[in-house]
Amino acid sequence: MAGGLSLYQEGASLLHRAHPLTKGVLTLSALALAFIAPSLYWILGIALMLLILVIVAGVLRRLIAVALALLLPITVLLLAVQGFANPANHTVLFAIGPIVYYTEGLSIAAIAALRITCLVVATFLFSFTTRPADITEALMQRGLSPNMGYVLQSALQIIPQTLDMAGRIQDAQRSRGLETEGSLPKRARAYLPLMLPLVLSSLVATQERAMALEVRGFGLPVKRLNRYEFTDTAVQRVTRWALALAVPAAIVARLLGWR
Amino acid sequence: MGILNAFKVRMNTLAIVLIPVCIAIDWAGHAIASTLKLPLFLDSIGTVLGGLLAGPWVGGIAGLITNFISSGTVDPIAAPYSVISLAIGIAAGIAGYYGWHKTWPGRVALYILIVLVASIGSTPLNIGLYQGQSGLPFGDALYAGMVKGGWPTWLAAYIDEASGDIPDKLITVVVAILIFFGLPNRYRALFSVWRRPADEKAPAPAPSV
Repeated sequence: MAGGLSLYQEGASLLHRAHPLTKGVLTLSALALAFIAPSLYWILGIALMLLILVIVAGVLRRLIAVALALLLPITVLLLAVQGFANPANHTVLFAIGPIVYYTEGLSIAAIAALRITCLVVATFLFSFTTRPADITEALMQRGLSPNMGYVLQSALQIIPQTLDMAGRIQDAQRSRGLETEGSLPKRARAYLPLMLPLVLSSLVATQERAMALEVRGFGLPVKRLNRYEFTDTAVQRVTRWALALAVPAAIVARLLGWR
Repeated sequence: MGILNAFKVRMNTLAIVLIPVCIAIDWAGHAIASTLKLPLFLDSIGTVLGGLLAGPWVGGIAGLITNFISSGTVDPIAAPYSVISLAIGIAAGIAGYYGWHKTWPGRVALYILIVLVASIGSTPLNIGLYQGQSGLPFGDALYAGMVKGGWPTWLAAYIDEASGDIPDKLITVVVAILIFFGLPNRYRALFSVWRRPADEKAPAPAPSV
């Protein structure tokens, strides 16, 4: 299993059943549109549509948990900095002593935060409803080289293993007296003793892995067969095209004065 | 041939297998930095190391996919910055091709190059995404002060971003070079196929059955 890292949640919703490419196009064009759309209400509309899809997919509760942790600090920073310091600021919203907060900065920060929210929700919608293995499989069926397919798939497996090993190395080094807590210089000094053994051992393992793959025919110039076919419907094909074409259409509309 | 020769795609199985390992090193570097509560990202050590060891393609692809995977799992906002990671890997690959990591002036040049690539590349993205902020409290406080003081936004945005990149990439480059020279010689030589001069032919592949 591509396990520890994947956010995929089993389900049978419309989005779970859709072709991975359809979901990919949906995510990419939704976030492109969020950044092209000119005003708060348009972006709010895109965010609401994404939210409806999240509810349809049945992953709302998980999304809120992950997305809030990401979005809250950024939103606070944006609201704080732009409200006080934005070149467009001139209407005072409130003032506490010498600190003045402006309306223009507030609305600029709100638009930026909402766009980032769309980016986060659209991406999580994709990763919650799509098995990582399906993404690589679908991309390979559309012409991604099998080598790159291997790179993606094996990275997803190696990362959790490496993180596990990092934990073990940390325990080992601590038992030898390495200090991993305390002042910043002390913690910084612990970085190399934790990093070096981890990296050296995982790099040296690559040679064995390369040989193991080559004896199994990796890199042979042969035609590969598909593991399975994804169900693709005419409706999905049309949806993909419509979504993909909406992006250039929106750019043209912006150039023609969409406000 | 010069610089173009570094870009010739010479991907053997070993180079391909190295890419996921570099991606995992990127992740581990960041994870260890977070466990130690260091105020840095340190999430491109594998990218730089991949570039130095096996060329611009390995480094670049490792950087690109590192960001793709983190945007699909922990941090969707990493997605637009995948271009920067790609550029960092390519820059490290070019530096490695010319052997910059072997001399002191070269190491300094590698560090400066990577800081420049990261900060110049990220600034327009920060302006598009965050109105010029970098999302780090220290840099953003600098940004607020500079914009308040009437500095142009792009310059404030650049200094905001660079204030994070200057220490971050220093440790990244130092660790990557230490790892490079910590590897057994025999092992480093395995990857040096990509340094082959332009006029030298690749060895014939094994006959397929």
